[in-house]
Amino acid sequence: MSESAVSGARIPRRRRGGARALATGMVAGIALAVTGPAVRAGERLGFGPFGLVLGGEGTFSIAPKDWGYFNEIEYQRNALRLARLALQAELRVGTHVAALTEIRSDNLDPPRAYGLYLRLRPWTGRSFDVQAGLVPTVFGGFTRRPYGGGNSLVGYPLAYQYLTTLRADAVPGSADELALWRGQGWLVYYPIGSAEPASGMPLVNTQRWDTGAQVRVGSDPIEVAASLTQGTLSSPRRGRDDNGGKQVAIRAAWRPVTGLVIGASGSGGEYLARSVRETLPPSEAQRRYRQWAGGLDAEYSRGHWLARAEAVASAWDMPRLGTPPVPSPLKALGIMGEGRYRPAPGWTLAARVDYLGFGRIETSQGRVSWDAPLTRVEGAVSYSPLRQATVKAAYQHNWRDGGRVRSKGLVVGQLVLWF
Amino acid sequence: MRFPDPVSRHLLAAALVSTGLLLALATGAGAGTIQGRVDVKRELLPLDPRPTVSELGMPPPRGTPDRRRSVVYLEPGPRGAFEESERRRATLDQRSEAFVPYVLAITVGTNVDFPNHDRTYHNVFSLSKARRFDLGRYPQGESKSLRFDRPGVVRVFCDIHSHMSAFILVFAHRFFATTDAEGRYRLDDVPAGAYNLVAWNDGQVRDSRPALVPEGDGVVEQDFVLK
Repeated sequence: MSESAVSGARIPRRRRGGARALATGMVAGIALAVTGPAVRAGERLGFGPFGLVLGGEGTFSIAPKDWGYFNEIEYQRNALRLARLALQAELRVGTHVAALTEIRSDNLDPPRAYGLYLRLRPWTGRSFDVQAGLVPTVFGGFTRRPYGGGNSLVGYPLAYQYLTTLRADAVPGSADELALWRGQGWLVYYPIGSAEPASGMPLVNTQRWDTGAQVRVGSDPIEVAASLTQGTLSSPRRGRDDNGGKQVAIRAAWRPVTGLVIGASGSGGEYLARSVRETLPPSEAQRRYRQWAGGLDAEYSRGHWLARAEAVASAWDMPRLGTPPVPSPLKALGIMGEGRYRPAPGWTLAARVDYLGFGRIETSQGRVSWDAPLTRVEGAVSYSPLRQATVKAAYQHNWRDGGRVRSKGLVVGQLVLWF
Repeated sequence: MRFPDPVSRHLLAAALVSTGLLLALATGAGAGTIQGRVDVKRELLPLDPRPTVSELGMPPPRGTPDRRRSVVYLEPGPRGAFEESERRRATLDQRSEAFVPYVLAITVGTNVDFPNHDRTYHNVFSLSKARRFDLGRYPQGESKSLRFDRPGVVRVFCDIHSHMSAFILVFAHRFFATTDAEGRYRLDDVPAGAYNLVAWNDGQVRDSRPALVPEGDGVVEQDFVLK
């Protein structure tokens, strides 16, 4: 696996005609499925013990240029200026086995597998499931609704999207070097590790899934899920492991009454690439560099109202290099609250308040947070003329204590089609 | 009410209906019965949830909607059929992540109850022109009620469960029937005359044909095969 793939950066590449045609075909397929009278969501095509269900979603977001790079999800890829196509397939074999995949294309780039795994339910009467392959993370509440249709707003919560200045394939040589990049996580360069500038990592990466296995036990009122994967929340690994470490993640969800879900999550795993560790001084190269994360989430809904709150705390072990040294671990905390109201059939009003803060470090210039803290407020109104089509209009404002652009308001539009 | 159907067949049927109604009015005819069977030969694929790729396991078991149920009705209804003022109630249940029944045929002015019998929330809504509504989320054991005052087809969904859907057909008259498990239907007390008999299944008019009800207590047999 290339180092750019580890950090999440996207190296500009020549688009192949065939792949682009395939992505265009996905657009046409989703449009046809949404408008075609014969198509029903979830119609199962059966042959023998097999049952195939297809689904898809097209999300088309438009906004003025985000000069503060507040909504970058990867290098040169912005959540508010994105055309995303997703095709999903679930092949069921009897009642115990299913194979699932999701193929995505962003901005008509060559489609890639976002998820691809096998799901097993050994006992029909028991809520016990095993999934193995390129699997969704068990951590957090937002991770199961990152799609356009599941997100009442257009932007993502900061903990699940905002690119910090940390990378998995390069590290700063001192605290001063780290502080130099405050507020510029969309493109970071450090002297140790990969020599290429690349984007930093979010606290939790929802743009890629991880390779591994997970189990889920129980359903109501308590559900527990745990996973063992190659990457970490910040840096999921698709395919081959690059540091030999594994991440353990767990989430417990409690539903005391209908409509209320309270969740707690935790994870720990090695995130730093072996290629970086090998370049460190011997005393630092022996250490293991893990990302630790904990999360709390809650959701309550009733009638036409829905409220959510979520907190994600993360800490990354760092090599203690240079003068002044980079402290270890580096900590970050994301907190968000979200509300949704449906005033009339087809209409939705939603708002989110979001904060992402960072621990403080000692630099030669004084004591500062290691990345620039950020506050985001977003409000949206959406209308669904059809069940499978939603139009959203949103306004998002970001305030950041660092970086070139410190305050920026963005008007955003989004069209979501699904089948 | 408007249903999409073949134009030519309807023109012929409308001519027969007009003639028949005039004949019935002129002669003061009695009432008869139209009955028969609707044999659905079309392939109706089972409805499943969308691929649950971001979920952590198998979805819970759910009910299977009976998509073979059809509705047979007269179009237009006989004269005098629109003057009934009786208020009725009907129920569209939410059970095992399915609406029961899948097809509910009612007259204008009927109040429909939407009880939730599942342990999870449902959010019943419709964006149909005949009745737009959003009942919001409510738990097991609770019910909400809606009155349907305009004829037409109302497509009902659950906002939380994509595979849940149902149809409510709202008629301005009482001359309609939903088929039973064997596909049989029966329209009673139909005034003598010539009518256009329509068979509707799973969202569309699938067939329509003229039916002539004789004077007296005559019984007219009319079967449909929907392909």
